[in-house]
Amino acid sequence: MSANPISSVSDSQMSLRHILLVLSLLAFLSATAGGVLYYASLRQAAFHEARQQTAAKTELVHKRLNSLLSEHRKNAVTLAGMPALQQALLDKTPGSLERANAVLDHFVTTLKADVCYLMDPQGETIASSNREDEDSFVGQNFAFRPYFFNGLDGSNWAYLALGVTSLKRGVYHSSPVYADPPVRPIGVAVIKASIDEIEKELALPTEDIVLVTNEQGAVFISSQPQWLFQLAWEVGPDQIGQIARERQFGQGPWQWIGLQKIDADHVTDRNGERYLAHRAGIDRFPGWEIVYLRSTRLIAQSISGPLLRIVGPVAMLVSILVGVSVLLLYRKASREIYRRRNAEQALRQSEKRYRSLYHHTPAMLHSIDRGGYLLSVSDFWLETLGYRSDEVLGRPLTDFFTPESRKYALSEGIPRFFKQGSIKGVPYRMVKKNGETIDVMLSAIADRDAEGRIQRSLAVSVDMTERYRAEEALRVAKEALDRYSKELERQVRERTSEITAILKYTPAVVYMKDGRGRYLMVNSRFEKLFSIDGDAVHGKTDGDLLPAEVAEQFRAHDERALAKGISLQVEEQIHQKDGMHTYLSVKFPLYNETTGGIMGVCGIATDITALKNAQEQLRRLSGSIMANQEQERTTIARELHDELGQLLTALRMDAVWLQERLRDKDVKGAERAAAICTLVDTTIEEVRAMAVRLRPGVLDDLGLVEALELFTNEFERRVQIACIFTHNVMPAVDNAIATAAYRIAQEALTNVARHAGASRAEVRLQMEQDTLVLNVWDDGRGFNPDALSQVRMLGLAGMRERAALVGGTLLVKSAPDQGTLVALRVPLALSMGNAA
Amino acid sequence: MIKVLLADDHGIVRAGLRRLVEESGDMAVVAEAADGDEAIRKIRANRPDVAVIDLSMPRIDGLEVIRRIHPEFPHLPILVLTMHAENQYLVRAIEAGAMGYITKQSAPEQLVRAIRKVLGGSRYLTGDAAESLALRVSKGGLDRSVLDELSTRELQVLRRLALGHTNREIASAYNISIKTVDTYRFRLLKKLNLRNNAELSRFAIQNGLIQA
Repeated sequence: MSANPISSVSDSQMSLRHILLVLSLLAFLSATAGGVLYYASLRQAAFHEARQQTAAKTELVHKRLNSLLSEHRKNAVTLAGMPALQQALLDKTPGSLERANAVLDHFVTTLKADVCYLMDPQGETIASSNREDEDSFVGQNFAFRPYFFNGLDGSNWAYLALGVTSLKRGVYHSSPVYADPPVRPIGVAVIKASIDEIEKELALPTEDIVLVTNEQGAVFISSQPQWLFQLAWEVGPDQIGQIARERQFGQGPWQWIGLQKIDADHVTDRNGERYLAHRAGIDRFPGWEIVYLRSTRLIAQSISGPLLRIVGPVAMLVSILVGVSVLLLYRKASREIYRRRNAEQALRQSEKRYRSLYHHTPAMLHSIDRGGYLLSVSDFWLETLGYRSDEVLGRPLTDFFTPESRKYALSEGIPRFFKQGSIKGVPYRMVKKNGETIDVMLSAIADRDAEGRIQRSLAVSVDMTERYRAEEALRVAKEALDRYSKELERQVRERTSEITAILKYTPAVVYMKDGRGRYLMVNSRFEKLFSIDGDAVHGKTDGDLLPAEVAEQFRAHDERALAKGISLQVEEQIHQKDGMHTYLSVKFPLYNETTGGIMGVCGIATDITALKNAQEQLRRLSGSIMANQEQERTTIARELHDELGQLLTALRMDAVWLQERLRDKDVKGAERAAAICTLVDTTIEEVRAMAVRLRPGVLDDLGLVEALELFTNEFERRVQIACIFTHNVMPAVDNAIATAAYRIAQEALTNVARHAGASRAEVRLQMEQDTLVLNVWDDGRGFNPDALSQVRMLGLAGMRERAALVGGTLLVKSAPDQGTLVALRVPLALSMGNAA
Repeated sequence: MIKVLLADDHGIVRAGLRRLVEESGDMAVVAEAADGDEAIRKIRANRPDVAVIDLSMPRIDGLEVIRRIHPEFPHLPILVLTMHAENQYLVRAIEAGAMGYITKQSAPEQLVRAIRKVLGGSRYLTGDAAESLALRVSKGGLDRSVLDELSTRELQVLRRLALGHTNREIASAYNISIKTVDTYRFRLLKKLNLRNNAELSRFAIQNGLIQA
């Protein structure tokens, strides 16, 4: 297997892509090249044609120019032969000149020439058809012109030049005039034709450039008028000098128009424009030539314009089509490549997975061939039996079976498999390399070849040893569980009967309800109390079963226990035949053992009516004892204070009176009387103190505030610690309440004096709404309320009792080193009726 | 002769008092009453110059007698004579309209003097009764929000500190410990938001506890 199949696949794919890309490019290139070649050949043909056309056109110009230029050659000869001219040259009389002029006029008129004139042997014009004109030639000397001196030499001569007098281009035809006998010429006759007229006749084409130049390249006739008398080609200064000397083309300057020859057929102008050129000579004018120029650009335009118009869209369309189809094909090909690559990869993956699965599946897999020999085994197979693969492959499968299993496999298992093509759940026992046996369950399917013959098996053996062992363990456990649950049931039965007995005979009322207040169970006392059949309560609520006021109490208290989640002690009132009964009920939530959630509530109610009654009697008794005691104290205090006190004051008055009487008469008697007086005073003080201790008259006469004020003052004096009494506005308070408050303050301050070691005590009396609040606080050493001596406990209990008797509550708050607060709270509204 | 009415439920005491009054020479007991009801009736009938009334009497007690008589005879001086030495009684009596207050115990020495004094239009008070009264009056009439929170004892200590008494003097005056006085002083400064005795003095003057 390749080390890295994916990368190699992608490599091959990449190269394929490259090939595809190159092919596509080549296709595109060849299409383009075809187009370009086609265009080039078209262009070539067009140029070829253009060249031929140029040659033809040049030839046309050449022929016509030839004929136009040589039109007057023979006429000149005829003119020269006229006798009038001969005569005029010979005698130069006015009459002969007149006749010569008439001949000349006749020729001009008939020939439609420009000028006809006659020159003497010195070159001077003696007669001319334009003798009347401003630019008359008569008298002018044209001896420098070749047509003169060649004519004088006896030749007929043609010459092209710009006239020096007329400044008009012309073609000059000269012919010698002979005397009789014609030995040597005596003059020359000339016919000048206008080049302008010839140019008109020529009808030079406008789209092309036609130049007629002499041997130096000076332009004489042209379709471009601005180029006239300029130089077509670049020439040296001596040649320009020659032009100047010959005076053939006026005064100059003769500038180069910028044409350059590239090769035989092409020239460029000053602007670099390229022309196809064709030249032709002019008959009888040696050195002159006709130059025909056609712009290659225009030629190319004349071809490519229409070509592009027609071929352009087609070529574009073809290009696009080619491009698109190349693109499509390329995409299709690459998709195909991608798909194949994926398929290949998937195949490889699945193969890998299969192998991995085969070897890593925690099942024993193997294959055997038709002979029963092992072809392959999974890693797990080897691992389970403890072999290496080279120890097993090629060996018969049955070698690894116990003898019984082997017998069964050979006689039945394997033949049946090869007959049926599959086998399922056959139990075998195999032998490990170390000799241990394991139980397996073998299933197999057949792998067939193309003709459907079984080639090999694909078998899986499941190790059943653990399962068999687990099944056995389960069976044993089940039996143990059976025994245990029977025991449990017995115990439950026992407990149930015990509890049932307890529930039945307990004097308490017991019931259980679920979380929504529906009865689950009630005991026999419950049934009796509410005259309800115990079996009928199940699923019912308090409201269904009980009198409304009882149901309301039960429900409220049960809900409270459920909400708090802890046990709760409450008193409940239940009306019975003999009156109202009080029950002390314990309510507690029932918890679900497994979930820990509350699943219901249980109530156990005990009839404490008798107890309550006794308690109430006791309370009343103690109240009346206290009231009686207080009453008695009041009486005694009053008697002490008023009766005994009054008697003592009367006695004192008498003693004073006696003292006054005896002062002067009996000094000793007076002293005795004074002693009695002092003794009486002491006694009065003691009696008064005694009375106040028993019960302060202020409490009855002036009220609680004054009594406490007095007491705290007295306390300060006696105990020598600051005792601060404050109060706000007090209503008149019931005597019993005032007494209770006074006594509680007295007891609390007594405790402060005895135990607290305080430096300061405060007594605060105030009204909070309709509640009387008395706080006695000290900054002493405090105490642990849970660890009090019997005596102090009784003292606190006494205070509580007094508070309870007037319908109030007493709170004692203290901790070591935190001081002590005794707080009495009595709601007044109830007892306002009999306020003092 | 000065006409005196005696109201006391004790015959023996009454007899003693009568003797005290009559021995003065210029006073005569014109009527005696054994209870409050009788006292009111006899005051109306006999129009005495001065009424000496015990506080503790059956049926209608002395305070009630004063409350009824005083509006009726605003010019009749009433002297309270009682077994009760507590200043609280005194304050109530003066509030009800009495002009003087003496204990029965001090009657032999003070009764006649007291009668003359009240007849003369002055109050007759003994011992620290005057102070109690002063405190009571100032507490009743002043900015209650400030003084209401002060106990009687605190007012006492405040007054004396303002008068320049030392802690020791105050302690001995009320028979309490010096430490207790100090405690009161500290509380007063804190409650009234003051810094020293000088500021205490200013406060006491502003609130009429003492005269400047």
